[in-house]
Amino acid sequence: MKTTYRFEIYPNQHQSTDMSSTEKKTTEWISKYCNLKFDKLFKVNYFLLESNEPIAGIDDFAKTILTDSVTDVLFSSESKNMDLVSYLGQRGFTEPVLCDVSFKPGVTDNSAQAVLEAFKLIPDLKKYELNVASGECYYLQSTESLTDEAFEKVSYEKLANQLLHKVTIQRKAAIAANIRMQAPKIIEVVSTSHEATTIDLNLDNSTLLKLNTDNCWALSLDEIHFVRDYFKTLDRNPTDVEMEVIAQSWSEHCKHKIFASTIEYTEGELPAHMKKLGDFEVNSLFKTFIRGATEKIKADRNLQWLISIFHDNAGIVRFDKNVDVCIKVETHNSPSALDPYGGALTGILGVNRDILGCGQGAKPIANTNVFCLAEDSFFKENNIKLHPKLKNPDRIAEGVHLGVQDGGNKSGVPTVNGAFVFDKDYVGKPLVFCGTIGVLPQAENNLSTAEKRQQPGDYIVMSGGKIGKDGIHGATFSSMELNENAPASVVQIGDPITQKRLGDFLIEARQKNLFSSVTDNGAGGLSSSVGEMAGLTNGAIVDLDRAPTKYPGLSPFELMVSESQERMTFSVPKEKVHQFLQLSEKRNVLSTVIGEFTNQGQLLVRYNGKTVADLNLHFLHESLRPMQLKAHIDQASVEQAKATHWLNGKVKEEVKPTEAKAQLLSLMASANVRSHEHLVRRYDHEVKAATLVKPFTGSEKIGRHAPTDAGVIWLYPHGGERDNAISVSCGIAPQISHHDAYEMAVWALDEAVRNSVCVGADPTEMVLIDNYCWPDPITSGKNPDGAHKLAQLVRTSKAIYDLSVDYGMPFVSGKDSMKNDFMADDVKISVQPTLLVTAMGRVRSLNHITTSEAKNVGDLVYLIGPNQLIDFKKQLGLYKTLHKAILLGFVNSAHDVSEGGLAVSLTEKIMSTTLGLEIDTKLDLFVESAGRIIVTIDPIKQKEFAQLFTSDCILLGTVTGDAKLTIKNQFSVNNTETLAAYRIKAAGAI
Amino acid sequence: MKNKVKALILTGDGINCENETALAFSEHGCETKIMHVQDLIDQPGLLSQYQILALPGGFSFGDEIGSGQILALKLKYSLGVALTEFINNKKLIIGICNGFQVLVRLGLLPKPFTERQMTLTHNRQGHFINKWVNLTVPKSNCIWTKSLQGKEIALPIRHGEGKITFAGDQATQHNTFSALVSQGQIALSYTEDVNGSYQQIAGVTDPTGCILGLMPHPEAATSNWLLPDGTAKKTGQAFGQQFFINAIKHCEERF
Repeated sequence: MKTTYRFEIYPNQHQSTDMSSTEKKTTEWISKYCNLKFDKLFKVNYFLLESNEPIAGIDDFAKTILTDSVTDVLFSSESKNMDLVSYLGQRGFTEPVLCDVSFKPGVTDNSAQAVLEAFKLIPDLKKYELNVASGECYYLQSTESLTDEAFEKVSYEKLANQLLHKVTIQRKAAIAANIRMQAPKIIEVVSTSHEATTIDLNLDNSTLLKLNTDNCWALSLDEIHFVRDYFKTLDRNPTDVEMEVIAQSWSEHCKHKIFASTIEYTEGELPAHMKKLGDFEVNSLFKTFIRGATEKIKADRNLQWLISIFHDNAGIVRFDKNVDVCIKVETHNSPSALDPYGGALTGILGVNRDILGCGQGAKPIANTNVFCLAEDSFFKENNIKLHPKLKNPDRIAEGVHLGVQDGGNKSGVPTVNGAFVFDKDYVGKPLVFCGTIGVLPQAENNLSTAEKRQQPGDYIVMSGGKIGKDGIHGATFSSMELNENAPASVVQIGDPITQKRLGDFLIEARQKNLFSSVTDNGAGGLSSSVGEMAGLTNGAIVDLDRAPTKYPGLSPFELMVSESQERMTFSVPKEKVHQFLQLSEKRNVLSTVIGEFTNQGQLLVRYNGKTVADLNLHFLHESLRPMQLKAHIDQASVEQAKATHWLNGKVKEEVKPTEAKAQLLSLMASANVRSHEHLVRRYDHEVKAATLVKPFTGSEKIGRHAPTDAGVIWLYPHGGERDNAISVSCGIAPQISHHDAYEMAVWALDEAVRNSVCVGADPTEMVLIDNYCWPDPITSGKNPDGAHKLAQLVRTSKAIYDLSVDYGMPFVSGKDSMKNDFMADDVKISVQPTLLVTAMGRVRSLNHITTSEAKNVGDLVYLIGPNQLIDFKKQLGLYKTLHKAILLGFVNSAHDVSEGGLAVSLTEKIMSTTLGLEIDTKLDLFVESAGRIIVTIDPIKQKEFAQLFTSDCILLGTVTGDAKLTIKNQFSVNNTETLAAYRIKAAGAI
Repeated sequence: MKNKVKALILTGDGINCENETALAFSEHGCETKIMHVQDLIDQPGLLSQYQILALPGGFSFGDEIGSGQILALKLKYSLGVALTEFINNKKLIIGICNGFQVLVRLGLLPKPFTERQMTLTHNRQGHFINKWVNLTVPKSNCIWTKSLQGKEIALPIRHGEGKITFAGDQATQHNTFSALVSQGQIALSYTEDVNGSYQQIAGVTDPTGCILGLMPHPEAATSNWLLPDGTAKKTGQAFGQQFFINAIKHCEERF
């Protein structure tokens, strides 16, 4: 007889009965954001264990597994061994209310999976069929009398997510009666599958568009007509599976249609500050400006170290004699808007899988994270009420932060670099950029590791997690603006432990030469991964019914496009499949043969022997004609963009201090300058023991609170040369997009490069990664200013072409996300056009590593760089000269000038040390620009140093021992004051 | 010529720091083998070929239920006999961070084969912390810290559950602590309260000094280049490597 037990885990009598720091913070949060006071909050975890038969002595087993005998007691539904009301009484509860948070059926439950594995370890329990679910009990007590609805509301606000969780409220009497213990039950997924159906597209346009929306295809009417006409030539209707595969493959997310389109760019009269580009037509922004730049640089410089670019999951570069390095940066914006934790977590794990699926499989060695977020305080201060469908931006910030923390830490990949960018327009869609660097040996088993080698006849093997409804339509969904009907099934939760096992297994199988090719299952699920791989052999047959599922009731199309996480698709030669599966089983990784690669030109999908899709690969991948788009910008469209901004007229004017010292202190504490150390130190930044420059620096005595410019990763622990490292840095400047998208791109790219140059990377061995996050640039009824936004996209692309070519730094990978708008009722919130550039450079010797903080009293302070970055070639010359100075050992510290301008940068160099600066300059202290770096050098080397530079190198002053910044004839401020302002949110939290 | 000392480093199930831990040994002339937990379970006899066993840091089983809990159960049910023999032969074991948590939950620290009196629980701050901390190395039995005893050293911490807590009421807890002090079992202490750990304990050794569990990461402080600021890289000292040198030396002399 099926039996279910409920086990709750409570602290024993020796533990503190006070609220934990986390519980206290939660009540403070609720008080701040929900305006409800709870004087008590107490959280405990619980598990439901379902067995096919009752288990004798279950409480003892549960105690062994679920509790720590030193600190915990177990409350069991079997023995009902506690008087909970009096227990809660000891913690000060007189009127406890229980908010029981459980997962909705089908949602990934990592705790439950781990606990299930633990139960299965016990020899006596091996004979039972077990299942586990996890949940959380929150006991709350308020001084006010609140309704159940109020408790439920506050739970969904902070303790649970409505898309993932179910909350049940119980009052004191129900708690005392142990209602929840009486018939515990794990709720099963109830779902019925349907057979593959055919879809008649011979309908009028409005019906077709309705079909398009209802099915989340996100196709354009032109594309639907194209599909209809194609199937007419085949004399049949498409199946639902075929429509889904087509929709996934042609989604903006997978196909990058806007970047592939033909754009007619025109300029009217432009504001004086904007660079004139003239009118032109561009056939694919990607081919012209991104790949075009790389190809030109590769040819101009005769580069030999670009191993694999643009056609794999990540770009591969040779910066070492022994290993190759690959890098990829992804965005995960839409999922993060819906479930910030799950979205960010799957973002990290997803880009890690891109690296695992690069070439023959690379090993992730470092992560980067850049968040573009809004702040609740901005809206509060301006009395702006947000649309009820929008999540509180602070809650989004917390969620993505936690997701990154779990994603990176649990996978054992250090988070070495990143940024927090705040702007009100990110309230509609937060931007979450996740990057990963990987290493792979240059050759293994005498074969290059950069190539895919699948052959017709190789098996298609899916490894990792099972398929569920999670993440269905992720690719198409992210290609649409967020609206009120976003399907709950798009939310995914990552499972770091399953992925860690999968990654470990993959590397081991690669070393043993057990597969011929691999790619990750990301957006679009099997449809994308098999679809792409099939392109290489020109065909595949998939038997969907062989794919393992989380629960019954999945329809064939769902199996094909589900984005259930932690899956990779391998091609395995038939003679190796036995060994492959054997190793997989031993490593606790689920692997299943689901089909075979062919060379017949078709993607053939079967379900229970019946063909459910039979698509020509040429039609799928090559037939789509590029869109024809128009981009236009002029004075009027620039003004129109400002005039139609959703907050126009609603924002109070900011009062800035006029006095320089006060201005500096206010800048130090401002959102885009101040420290995020309290968050960043929760990310493991040095696991793998290879992070040479960490996110913070300073002197031991003051604590290391000052920001560094770039992460530096030692390649030796990863199989590289002993005296060799790589830098990774980023640049982003959305705050000036409204001013000019061309200049925004120049700032972003130069900042990334500048940061890497600061830490000692060689500017002649540096590569770039572009990530665009744009508001919808296609003109439509609800998007009248598409042409202007598209023009901004063109300007940005032209800028990064111009700058990268002049710098001689090729792009090796990139991604775009094009529909970063929120729309509901009559509110439309679009992100500012945002370009993130990531730079990865080679640090040829560990002796070149230079950190940002000033080191010695008496060192001289120089400013390198022009007031305005206009001459790109000259700027590269400056970087090369600075690098030469670093090589000669002249430079003791280097730090870039970015947000906040000169004064902020000078402050950052000393605030976390016992040193000071005495500066004599007439330069504007606060103006922001690109291209400038502050260095300190040994005074003995002054002459030699200054001789290296022919221009743009100004002596600013000296390093002193008095722990303050003195700007001669202006002001002086102590480090304690600037550091306190900088750490306004971070102090005391670590 | 004497045989090289051999160290076995476990991996799998969410262990993350196997590479750098192996490197910390191999850089000092030790022969190392990184082995998947499952492979050792399949052939427990292999353990006897090694003089040193290392349980590296990581997030075994995602730290679900409690850090190290499920890996400890797995080792207990499937490797109990081999581990007992290893310990009885006075061979060396190190558990770093998650590995320390596993050793404690296995009941091997502070004293093997006795009732558990100690655990590692959530930091008082309630979250994960990565920073470099200063530590004192008291006089103790610990073989791993031999050359460092009496010194103040710096190592990074990277954990969310590093708060050492003893069983029982306050008097019992105090007695347990006093006994550990008098038996020379406190191997490492923070110079300030970094996570709420009882009396700022950072590392514990068993009565023989052969087994060390510690929350800070010595394997991440094995080169000056890894030190946390520009000045330290030039003039500081990477104390982490001493732990591995001490262990290898001991084994060279003893085995």
